[in-house]
Amino acid sequence: MRELSRRLAFLFRRGRYAADLREEMHLHIELRARRFSEQGVADAEYAARRQFGNRTQYQDRSSEIWGWTVWERVVQDVRMGIRSLSKSPGFTAVAVLTLAIGLGMNTAVYSVVNAVMLRKLPYPHPEQLVSMWEQHPRTNTNFSSHGGGSFGWTQPKTGMLRTTVSVANIADYEGSGAFTAMASFDNNAMNLTGVGIPERVDGDLVSWRFFSVLGVTPVMGRDFRGGDDSPSAEPTVVLSYGFWQQRLGGDTNVLGQTVTLDGVKRRVIGVLPKSFQSPSEMADGTAREFFVPAAYPSDQVQQRGNHDVDVIARLRPDVPVRTAQGKLDVVQARLARQFPDTNKEMFPAIAPLGDDIVRSTSTALWCLLAASGLLVLITCVNVANLLLVRATGRTRELSVRLAVGASRSRLVRLFITESLLLAAGGCAAGIGMGLAITRGLLALAPTDIPRLESTSMDWTVFAFAAGIATLTGLVFGIAPAWHATRVQAVDSLKTSARTSAGRSQVRWLGSLTVAEVALSMVLLTGAGLLLRSFALVMNIDLGFQPDRVLALNINLPAARYKTADDRLRFFEALEPRVNALAGVRSVGYANRLPMRGSWRSGFTLEEPPQDQQVADFQAVSPGYFETLGMSLIRGRRFTAHDREGSPPVAMVNQAFARSYYKGGDPLGHGFLYANNRRVTIVGVVSDIRRGGKEADVLPEVYLAAGQTTLYPTRIADFAVRTAGDPSRVVNAVRQEVLALDKDQPITNVRTMREVIDLSVAERRFEVLLLAVFAAVAVALAVIGIYGVLSYSVAQRTGELGIRIALGAHPGGIVAMVMRQAGGLIAAGLAIGLGGALLLTRYLASLLFQMRSTDPLTYAICVGLLGAAAVAASMAPAVRSARVDPMVALRNE
Amino acid sequence: MSRSQRDEIPSGTLDLLILKTLARHGELHGFEIADSIQSTSEDILQVEEGSLYPALQRMLLKGWLKGEWGKTQENRRARYYTLTSDGRKQLQNEMDRYGRVSNAIARVLEAAS
Repeated sequence: MRELSRRLAFLFRRGRYAADLREEMHLHIELRARRFSEQGVADAEYAARRQFGNRTQYQDRSSEIWGWTVWERVVQDVRMGIRSLSKSPGFTAVAVLTLAIGLGMNTAVYSVVNAVMLRKLPYPHPEQLVSMWEQHPRTNTNFSSHGGGSFGWTQPKTGMLRTTVSVANIADYEGSGAFTAMASFDNNAMNLTGVGIPERVDGDLVSWRFFSVLGVTPVMGRDFRGGDDSPSAEPTVVLSYGFWQQRLGGDTNVLGQTVTLDGVKRRVIGVLPKSFQSPSEMADGTAREFFVPAAYPSDQVQQRGNHDVDVIARLRPDVPVRTAQGKLDVVQARLARQFPDTNKEMFPAIAPLGDDIVRSTSTALWCLLAASGLLVLITCVNVANLLLVRATGRTRELSVRLAVGASRSRLVRLFITESLLLAAGGCAAGIGMGLAITRGLLALAPTDIPRLESTSMDWTVFAFAAGIATLTGLVFGIAPAWHATRVQAVDSLKTSARTSAGRSQVRWLGSLTVAEVALSMVLLTGAGLLLRSFALVMNIDLGFQPDRVLALNINLPAARYKTADDRLRFFEALEPRVNALAGVRSVGYANRLPMRGSWRSGFTLEEPPQDQQVADFQAVSPGYFETLGMSLIRGRRFTAHDREGSPPVAMVNQAFARSYYKGGDPLGHGFLYANNRRVTIVGVVSDIRRGGKEADVLPEVYLAAGQTTLYPTRIADFAVRTAGDPSRVVNAVRQEVLALDKDQPITNVRTMREVIDLSVAERRFEVLLLAVFAAVAVALAVIGIYGVLSYSVAQRTGELGIRIALGAHPGGIVAMVMRQAGGLIAAGLAIGLGGALLLTRYLASLLFQMRSTDPLTYAICVGLLGAAAVAASMAPAVRSARVDPMVALRNE
Repeated sequence: MSRSQRDEIPSGTLDLLILKTLARHGELHGFEIADSIQSTSEDILQVEEGSLYPALQRMLLKGWLKGEWGKTQENRRARYYTLTSDGRKQLQNEMDRYGRVSNAIARVLEAAS
């Protein structure tokens, strides 16, 4: 430590130290000389010097002892590098800017990827946490499921349909021995009353072990205990830090107070840490403000066919995922024997929680990261191009340096120092740019990308950028250094500086250009494929008219509206009030409007062979079809007379009729669904894409909202078709709702158009990003081609001058240069085409109704890039024909 | 004075000699150290005198020595070196080591004869 401080003292006062040493040595020699002359030695001064040895060498060796020699040399190199770079500000600016663009985009995308996928989940031992779901072959019918985060997701590998877990199965899975604990949870927004205006607040309904599975303890109060979730227990709630701070003003006496949710007074037993996010919040980006114990009704606990909840579990420390899956499979085999009806074709599956949360976005993000990586490569190639051109222009300078005794390694070091300096500048500028781009990305990104909000530039991002920059500096500094320093001092001094561009340099520049074109081609193709997919998606007809339709959510709490009939009466009372508002054309209500969730159930046709099938079910009001703009194909619509007590009726869509009645008339036929409830088909309506633009048209069943015993899911969505701008009636609708129930909030208010825009937001985001990457890549490639050709034309001025002097036609000269350019471009396009074919297959899952080898896209991309590249070569080519032979030859 | 009799200082012992010299005389400048080593060894041990200075610098860095500027009798500026307590410890270490090594060498040589 003291040694270090002495070293530092030396560093800062090394001039003084050197002077001291010089004085000391001088004195020594002088004294020795005097002694010699006293002893009568001839030429005492010389003898003293000889006795002392090489003074400079000892001085150097002394200062080496202080350990700063290397550093001093570096400082010297850096100074020299800065001096030489600042002599060509244009080159430096272009190089730094190019690097900054590439690095900026890359760090921005990386910081998103880092936040979303790489950073560990904020729970203790996150590697032990798994998400669990159940999956079944598409043909399985004996179940009913709705809602939930893991609903209706087709497993890419197995082709099985993913569904939520049946509460009844959880205890069996827990008994597999692979887990220390398991907990279920389910999104459950509730109406908050008694704190300001009534509001619908998002929360999770959780089994009591939820927090202990995650390893989270409240900052105040306690976690749930066994018994809190029994239906007879006192209602309790655990609040998020945000709820406590923002809604309750951070009241320190909050424990023991009550909060009214859906009309139930719940005692606050705990407040969660500020940093806590539930897995469901990470997955959909919606903050969960409260957690209530899930008191599952006993019929739900016994019905193995009801799939309603998401499940997380903590693995035993020594049990890997694969082993745990094996143990679950054993449990499944037993359940399949015990409960063949419900469990024969229902398979539990687990995946690491972190992976599962981001499953829907990870491919897209990896693709974007790869794309931005390609972009960095292109910028690197571009900078290498620039460095090489610059190095060639410096041949004379280097020859002089070599001639006066600089070692080759010293020159290589100079080059590398310069390129590292550029890299450092590019890195700094790139991080700055990355910060700006990240902010832009976050503003543009759809809000439902998991964990996106935690994006920040942490040290890994900086390390990542610095690492890439250093690599760039080294790799792309060494090549030019190696080439440039191969000059033979004498040879190149003898010849003119102009002609000294070696063949190998031209070849290098050529191959860099080819690489640039090839890389751009890959990016452009990727962007092109996504863009075409996006266009295809946007052109998809949903089958209903979403324009001028307002969708909103009215969740009636069970405490106040105890029966399905109570809830129906509310909506029936609301309908005429809203219908009477100015600007309202029609009104409809349903469990869920299209693209806002679904309810899927199995059913059995009455006719032989009595196949079991699956369809989407919705309970809808008579006005639903008109409001959404769906047309009646056959039969009749629901009327106000389809009520409890009248014969149970259903309407189906064309897909249903096609699939199950094979062109025959479904009217008058019936089927059984859920717990053997029977309905008769009275009408057929047109097909819609219920799941959104990218979803398939599925068989749909519509039940009459008036026949409340037919459906379990509550009516909650309300649709209003207006004459003008639908957002203008929002307040009037809210007033009507409050007039009926002053405690009832309306939520999730969106025009249908907005709902659709949101559903394609992620695709739009990916396309936008990749298109920007591709545009930058093409721009860089164009600049690169232009630069290289300009340079090579400049190098050949002499040769071109002679050709022109000898009578070459200008057109011939242009053609010659263009041939050279054309060769490079064609090679680049060919390699890029191969690369694109190879790489875009990873995009396949992001494409819509097209293959990653779509010939049209490839043709357009080749055409575009080729045209841009040829255009970039035109200017240098034309310039080459204008070479004045006299000027050119005089320069020789 | 007969130059042919002079020997190079064995490598690694220069530090020991400097430390010992300073321990004996207290405060010396560079020339005096060189001179003292030479005369005490009765002119047998001979250094290329310049090599003294890197050694002094290293010992300054290690904190074994302290250097302070003063005046010679002829009123010339010179840096006078003194031992620090670390230097004294180091001297003891080096002496011990030297004793061990030279004993060992002596034993080997005796056995051989």
